[in-house]
Amino acid sequence: MRVPGETPLLEVRGITKRFPGTLALDSVDLRVGYGEVVAVIGENGAGKSTLMNILAGVLLPDEGTIHLDDQVQHFTSVKQAHAAGIALIHQELSLLPNLTVAANLYLGREPTRAGWINKRTLRTQALRYLERVDLKCDPQTLVAELPIGQRQLVEVARALASNARLLIMDEPTSSLAEEEAEVLFDVIRELQERGVSILYVSHRLREVMSIADRVVVLRDGRITGRLAQESVTRDEMVRCMIGRSVNRIYTRKRNEPGPPVLRAERLVTRNKEKQSLSFCLREGEIVGLSGLVGSGRTELLRILFGVDMPMSGRVTVADQPVELKSPHHAIAAGIALVPEDRAKQGLILEMSTQPNLSLGALYRHYLGWKLLDRTWESGVTQEMVSQLNIQGVQASKPTRHLSGGNQQKVVLGKWLTLNPRVLLLDEPTRGIDVGAKQETYKAIDELAARGMAILLVSSESDEIIALSDRVLVMQDHTVVGELDHTELTERALMQLATGTAHDSHIREEKIGEAA
Amino acid sequence: MLQQARNYVYCAVTGLLVLFLAACGSSDEADRPEVGFVTNGIASFWTIADRGANAAAEAFDVEVSVMMPPDGPSGQSRMVQSLLARGVDGIAISPSDPENQAGLLNEIAQNTNLIMHDSDAPDSQRLVYVGMDNYEAGRMCGQLLKEAMPEGGEVVLFIGLLGQLNADLRRQGVIDELMDRSHDNTRRDPVDRVVANERYTVLDTRVDQFDFARAKGQVEDALARYPELDAMIGLFVYNPPQILEAVREAGKLNEITIVGFDEDDVTLQAIRDGEIVGTVVQNPYRYGYESVRVLASLARGDQSVIPENQFIDIPARRITADNVDVFEAELRELLSN
Amino acid sequence: MKKVFGILGVFVAVFVLTAILEPNFLTAYNLQNTLRWTGLFGIISIGAAFVIITGGIDLSTGSVIALVGVLVPMLLVDVGMPLVLVLLILFGVLLVMGVFHGVLVTKLNLQPFVVTLCGLLVYRGLARWLAGDQTQGFGSAFDGLRQLAIGRIPIAGDFGLPIPFVILIVLAFLSAGFLHNTVWGRYLLALGYNEEAARFSGINTSRMITVAYVIGVMTAGFGGLLFSLDVNSIQPAVHGNFYELYAIAAAVLGGCSLRGGEGSIFGVVIGATVLRLLYNAINILGIPTQLEFAIIGTVILVGVSTDEIVRRLAARHELKTTRGT
Repeated sequence: MRVPGETPLLEVRGITKRFPGTLALDSVDLRVGYGEVVAVIGENGAGKSTLMNILAGVLLPDEGTIHLDDQVQHFTSVKQAHAAGIALIHQELSLLPNLTVAANLYLGREPTRAGWINKRTLRTQALRYLERVDLKCDPQTLVAELPIGQRQLVEVARALASNARLLIMDEPTSSLAEEEAEVLFDVIRELQERGVSILYVSHRLREVMSIADRVVVLRDGRITGRLAQESVTRDEMVRCMIGRSVNRIYTRKRNEPGPPVLRAERLVTRNKEKQSLSFCLREGEIVGLSGLVGSGRTELLRILFGVDMPMSGRVTVADQPVELKSPHHAIAAGIALVPEDRAKQGLILEMSTQPNLSLGALYRHYLGWKLLDRTWESGVTQEMVSQLNIQGVQASKPTRHLSGGNQQKVVLGKWLTLNPRVLLLDEPTRGIDVGAKQETYKAIDELAARGMAILLVSSESDEIIALSDRVLVMQDHTVVGELDHTELTERALMQLATGTAHDSHIREEKIGEAA
Repeated sequence: MLQQARNYVYCAVTGLLVLFLAACGSSDEADRPEVGFVTNGIASFWTIADRGANAAAEAFDVEVSVMMPPDGPSGQSRMVQSLLARGVDGIAISPSDPENQAGLLNEIAQNTNLIMHDSDAPDSQRLVYVGMDNYEAGRMCGQLLKEAMPEGGEVVLFIGLLGQLNADLRRQGVIDELMDRSHDNTRRDPVDRVVANERYTVLDTRVDQFDFARAKGQVEDALARYPELDAMIGLFVYNPPQILEAVREAGKLNEITIVGFDEDDVTLQAIRDGEIVGTVVQNPYRYGYESVRVLASLARGDQSVIPENQFIDIPARRITADNVDVFEAELRELLSN
Repeated sequence: MKKVFGILGVFVAVFVLTAILEPNFLTAYNLQNTLRWTGLFGIISIGAAFVIITGGIDLSTGSVIALVGVLVPMLLVDVGMPLVLVLLILFGVLLVMGVFHGVLVTKLNLQPFVVTLCGLLVYRGLARWLAGDQTQGFGSAFDGLRQLAIGRIPIAGDFGLPIPFVILIVLAFLSAGFLHNTVWGRYLLALGYNEEAARFSGINTSRMITVAYVIGVMTAGFGGLLFSLDVNSIQPAVHGNFYELYAIAAAVLGGCSLRGGEGSIFGVVIGATVLRLLYNAINILGIPTQLEFAIIGTVILVGVSTDEIVRRLAARHELKTTRGT
């Protein structure tokens, strides 16, 4: 059976990493023994990805040391980490789909004879590693022809082919079906017996319980729990993940929501999934949309804003069905979106504040012959600049030179000129400083008070808790629960989002059937 | 191994089959030889040659494919190769760039009868050259200018392309005639050098690469640069009309003596109106006719059509106000046939 | 404006240098001719600029010019249609072609390079086929109409402003007005800089891109009409060959970025002027024609590099001053 090693393969001491404005990792210690599976869990933004990237040589730590077999390592590149035997298997697969399985396994390290790729050796060696991950496929198959679960196994095989001793798996099951995930777990157990160590990053607590020897919980860049297999329970994990006393980051005066404005009925947001979702937004109401990364929040917003088409279902605004074929259709129906990625989707960075602010409303405000109404433009600019307190605006200064918080205010201001009925906010405070966050909260609050229906997506649960009248929790592209602001706690949110209530219920049923 | 051997057998069998079918195909048409006539571009000049070639095809009972490449040498090699692939019994070509087309010309000569028209490549294995002597035609052009402007003056030449034998010879003929030099068609004056004697000064030769708008622009630029300019000679078919256009717009028709080459409608009309002193015309109809006649005989194994000096001379003619009407009537009759 | 400093510098340098080396450069006659060519090439450059501003490219310009050059004399002279009808048909055909380009680019998501490359091939082929490779022209029957291309508005002495140049200036003002003072122009610039953000701002980007291609083909066609009136002898196989590259070069010289967004009509007019000035200088200084392309290529590189250097210096300066405050 499993024999976790006595001397650790990997030992991490006092790793600290700062990013502008945040402390991503704060003096983190971690040990992984030979043939041990250690799970790292935590909320979005707890520092898991930063830690993995440091171990894999993608990022350099500000402080602290990494030891492999008691040797201090200084990884300055992925290549070095790789050479030392650490392989990172990405959330988004990094295989080249237009090459064969064998070619992917040995990409950059092709066995050669006199400069030519030795196909025979390539094939036999590839077969050996595919066997190790229980993948029965011809090494000459194109990766593009494999189902996603098998591709994951090819990734594992590739790591093994490079003599990896420590595999770092970042959310490996996020795109896998149940059966595919089970195959992966079997492979992990086999690898473990061969002495390969695994650092397993996941949101899915149930998976973690079944696979990990130990669980390490990260929160706000610190380790808040180390649980041995015997003591791993869902409640314990959730407690460690949230733990912090909730201090109200913003207090809003709540008003009674008005009549429903937007209704979504049986929307199916993804191909081949049976889940549909229905909900409504009322006038003057802020509805939080919570869920872990990949739960389908952004996809839902994109559909509501007409960027993508739903598989089925319908949306009504003020009881009128609306056809959401494109953003301009959505805008005409009174729906506006402040997108997640300001630089790519929110702003024309090369243009100054005024044309950015007026861009969404130009279809309404113009003079004869479609001439620009400059008086209206400069008026509305002044109005927004003072209302939202946008700093650093100059007539000819591109918005590229504004700070993140002020850029976000410009994006928000663009929609306020239109006074939409429904405002969709996707991570509205990402990457902006504390002062600007407060101003953004205040602006959102005021908009709701004016009667706008607001759907707020945020990965920061304190933000959701502070602002929302109601929260919809999503998991696997469907709404798994709804919380009123009176029952909103971080714990409740986390339990719904990690499927402690819902997910375990379903899974256990399935296990029951299997047995 | 076995697999490889089998592949070879397949190849051999397929190849034989193709050859056999090809042989059948050509034997079907053996009674009527097929010949190709390849020009060096697209122009009404070549349309007249096309008529001549077809008339000869009728008269001597052959099939003729007239091919006009829009893109110079590369188009020519493409067209020649397709003709060779069809297994024609002879090709007449006006090579755009004889020096660098040696390979292509050899390829033709090895596969079928090769003759040249309009522009010669004496070093190739061509059997005969049908055309005029461009050097002599150039001198004829110079002669026209001398007669119109005996007192002498400054001249600029305009041409579509240099480096092609007939263009180079034509230009050199003009210069040699103006300079009163001996007949020597191997002489070459550099493009960027002024050539002068006590009477005539050839200031410049501008090359337009067949861009008509540019041809006109270069005339304008010459008028601006040399305000005292006395004469212009346009050596490609479209040059005289563009010269006329620009000079007319500049209001200098009375100051500039224009000599042309070839028989564009505009050129002929201007000769009638006294705006252009004269032009030297080739006989493209005869190029086409004679080429096909020679190829038809060769295809039937008759070598007697080839003269001793391998040159069938279709002499150029000078057209001035005196004979322009006669010439145009002749031309119209040719085209109406 | 910042982006055209370099090219303005080149303009002044070439102008002064040529004037010193060859006094005849400054004659009314030569300046008139250069202005006329500037007008003709400037018009098609403006069309190219509109497409480039959306981040696309139009390679079909030269072939459109050839097709127009064949179509107009055929309908007018050979068929004998009235002028108004010919113009209606012409611009109708151009509209359809532009919409076709736009729809292929936006709805089928084909790359602009591919779509307009096929346009280049197809229209050239059509032109040659329609004309049977015969040279087309207006003869001497349409001298009135031809004044559009070769006429001049007398100014002083024997100097007159060539009508194509006047047309260019009018078109430039209209285009600049459209680009900088209308909602549609704003949309074009916005989507050129960042198509996704423009779509997320509710702009119907597909329609606007199609509008740009229509403008591109329409101006190319209008320019083609003037070109055909000017040379009056159109050989369909060669007429307008490579003109798309002159148009693109002028737009790029004038500060348009092939990445989209950036560009001013003023810059494009300057760019076209510099190109024509160079051609004129090469001819009038008696530099062998063989060197023409080499010289023009070098000057474009110098102009564009200077602009890039000026831009970087300005950015560095800006950074310093913002840090200072």
